[in-house]
Amino acid sequence: MTEHPDPPGRSYKRLSPLTPLVRSAILVVAVVASSWNDVLRGDLGPLGWVLLAMLVAGAAYGTASWFRTKYWIEADELRVDTGVISRQSRRIRVDRLQGIDIVQPFVARLLGLAELRMDVAGGGSREGSLAFLPLREAHDLRATLLARRDAVRAGHPAGTEDPRTEAEQRTAPPAPEQVVARLDLGMLVVSLLLSPETGAFLVSAAFFIVVFATFGGVGGAAGVVSLVVGLGLTQFRKLSAYYDFTVAQTAAGLQVRRGLFDRSTQTITLARVQGVVISEPLLWRGFGWARLDVAVAGYASGSADGSKPSASTVLPVGPRPLVMWLARHLLQASGGPDPDAVALAAPPVRARWVAPWVRRFLAAGIGEDLVVSRAGLLSRRTHVVPHARVQSLRLHQGPWQRRLGLADVLVDSPPGPVHVRARHRDVREARALLDEAGVRSRAARSL
Amino acid sequence: MDDLFAPPDNEWRAVSAALATMRRVLLLGVGCLVLVVIVVGCLLLSAPAWLVVPLVLFGVALVTCGWIVIGRNARWWGYAERDEDLYIKHGALFRKLVVVPYGRMQYVDVHAGPLEQLFKIASVHLHTASPGTSAVIPGLRADEAARLRDRLTSLGETQAAGL
Repeated sequence: MTEHPDPPGRSYKRLSPLTPLVRSAILVVAVVASSWNDVLRGDLGPLGWVLLAMLVAGAAYGTASWFRTKYWIEADELRVDTGVISRQSRRIRVDRLQGIDIVQPFVARLLGLAELRMDVAGGGSREGSLAFLPLREAHDLRATLLARRDAVRAGHPAGTEDPRTEAEQRTAPPAPEQVVARLDLGMLVVSLLLSPETGAFLVSAAFFIVVFATFGGVGGAAGVVSLVVGLGLTQFRKLSAYYDFTVAQTAAGLQVRRGLFDRSTQTITLARVQGVVISEPLLWRGFGWARLDVAVAGYASGSADGSKPSASTVLPVGPRPLVMWLARHLLQASGGPDPDAVALAAPPVRARWVAPWVRRFLAAGIGEDLVVSRAGLLSRRTHVVPHARVQSLRLHQGPWQRRLGLADVLVDSPPGPVHVRARHRDVREARALLDEAGVRSRAARSL
Repeated sequence: MDDLFAPPDNEWRAVSAALATMRRVLLLGVGCLVLVVIVVGCLLLSAPAWLVVPLVLFGVALVTCGWIVIGRNARWWGYAERDEDLYIKHGALFRKLVVVPYGRMQYVDVHAGPLEQLFKIASVHLHTASPGTSAVIPGLRADEAARLRDRLTSLGETQAAGL
C-alpha cells in the first residue's frame, strides 16, 4: 500500500518466529497421529501425504505471513501491518484502548508465547490482536501501551512525546498489584461437584438405573456411562478454565488470571462495568458460597448460567462476603453501593396465576444507586445495574397480566449476562418503578 | 386507557392513519390472492360446494379479524417527546412501553419500504448499546419522520452519555 509507507528501518518489530508453529500445531498433531503407523512401516499413506502437503503449504504461508506482519508504536497509535496477498494496515488509537488481555493457549504456553488482545471501544471484539509474542514482550508491550494511554488521556496532545523515553517506560516497574482473591482448588472442585449440572446428572442417572433394574439389558448402563462421561467432560472444562483463578487489584482495574492449559489474563476497567450478577445455586447456599459475573461493555459474550466457562466471570465460586465485596468494588464508578442494601419486594400474591411456581422466588427493588432483581430457585441470581448504566427502560403487559393488574419492568443493558427484570409487579408499582428508575438514571447520567 | 400506559405528561402523539390503511390494503391484497387460489384450485379439482363455501367463509372471517386487529394496533401506537427521553407505547394485546433517554442513543434509522413510500410514511428506529431496546415508531408521515430524526440526533449529540 502506497499510503502506508514502510516504517523507518529499526523501529518496527515482528511477532515471535514460532508463531506459524503454534498456529499449525493442530495440523502437526493430526499428521503425526494419522500416519504414525504408516511412518513406522516406512511409507506414508495417501491421507498422510495429503496432510503433509497441507502442512508444507501452511508452513510456507505461515512463514510468509509472519514475515509480513510488523507492528510498531507511532504517534499515539499502535500500527499493525499484516497480509500476504492483500495487505492490511491497522491503526489502533492508544487512547481508545479499554483494556488489554494476555491469552496463552496451551501450545503457545509450552513455547513461552502469548497473544495480546486489545479491547477497543466500538471495535469488533477481536479487532486488535497480536499473536504470538514472547510472554515477557507481551507484558512489556501491554505496560507500555497502558502507560502511553494514561499519558495521552492525562492531556498530552497527540504528537508530543511523553517526558519519559520509550526505554524508560518499558522498564518502569508495573504498578503494584494486590491480590484480592485466589481460588482454592479444593473449593473449586467441591463447587463443581455441587453444581446444578451434577443435580441434573443424579436425577437422570437415577432414571436410567430404574430403567435398568426394571427392564434389564444394557440400555440403562450405556446411558449412565455416557452421562458420566458427558458430565466429567463439561466439569473438567470448567475446572481447567478456572484453575488457579486469581483476582488482583491493579492501577488499570481488576485483573483476572485463570487457566490450567490455556492461561488468560484480562483486566476489567471499572469505568466500563455495566452491571453484575450474583448467582447462588441451591447446593452452595449451605456453604454460603456465591459466584460473580460482570457485564463489561465490549465483552459481548457471556451468560450467567455458568454452563460454560466465560470471560465475564469475576469469581467462579467464593464466600458470599468476598463476592459482595468484589461486587461493590466493581460498582465503584457508581459510588460503590451495596446490592444487599437495596430492599427487594416480592410480586403480589395474585401473580401466582401467571407464575405459579416461580412467584415466590421473584423479587425486585430500586435503591439510591441501583436497580436490582432476583429470580430462580435452583440457582438464585441477583442482577444488579447502577442507574448510571441503564440504557433504556421497558414496560410489558400481556393479556393475562392485564386481567390480574400486573406488569413487567425490564431494564436494558448492553449485551452480556446482566438482565434486570422486575416481573409481575402490581401495575401502579410497576409504573412508579419505571418513572423512578427514569428519574434516577437521568440524574446519574448528568453527574 | 389505564394508568399504566398513561402519557408521561400531556398526550400521546398518534402515528399517521396511513399506517392502518397501508396494512389493510396489504391484508386485502393477500386475502384476495389466497381466495383466488382456493377458488381456482377447487374448480380444477372439482371439489364439492360444501367444502368450498366454508373455506371461503373462513378466509373472509380471518381477513375481518385482521382488519379489526390492524385498526386496534394502529390506535395503540403512540409516542411522547420529552426534554431528555422519548416514550413509545404500542401493542393492543401485549402492551409495551419503552423509555429511551436521548443521551443513550447510538444512532437513529429512518426506513421507508416501497409500499410505505407509496403511502408517504416512514418508520423511525432508535438504537442504543443494548439489543433489547426495541424502540421503533412506524407509520410516521415522511416530514414528521425527518423532523423527529433531526431532533433526536441533535438532542442525542448534546446529551450524549455513551456507555
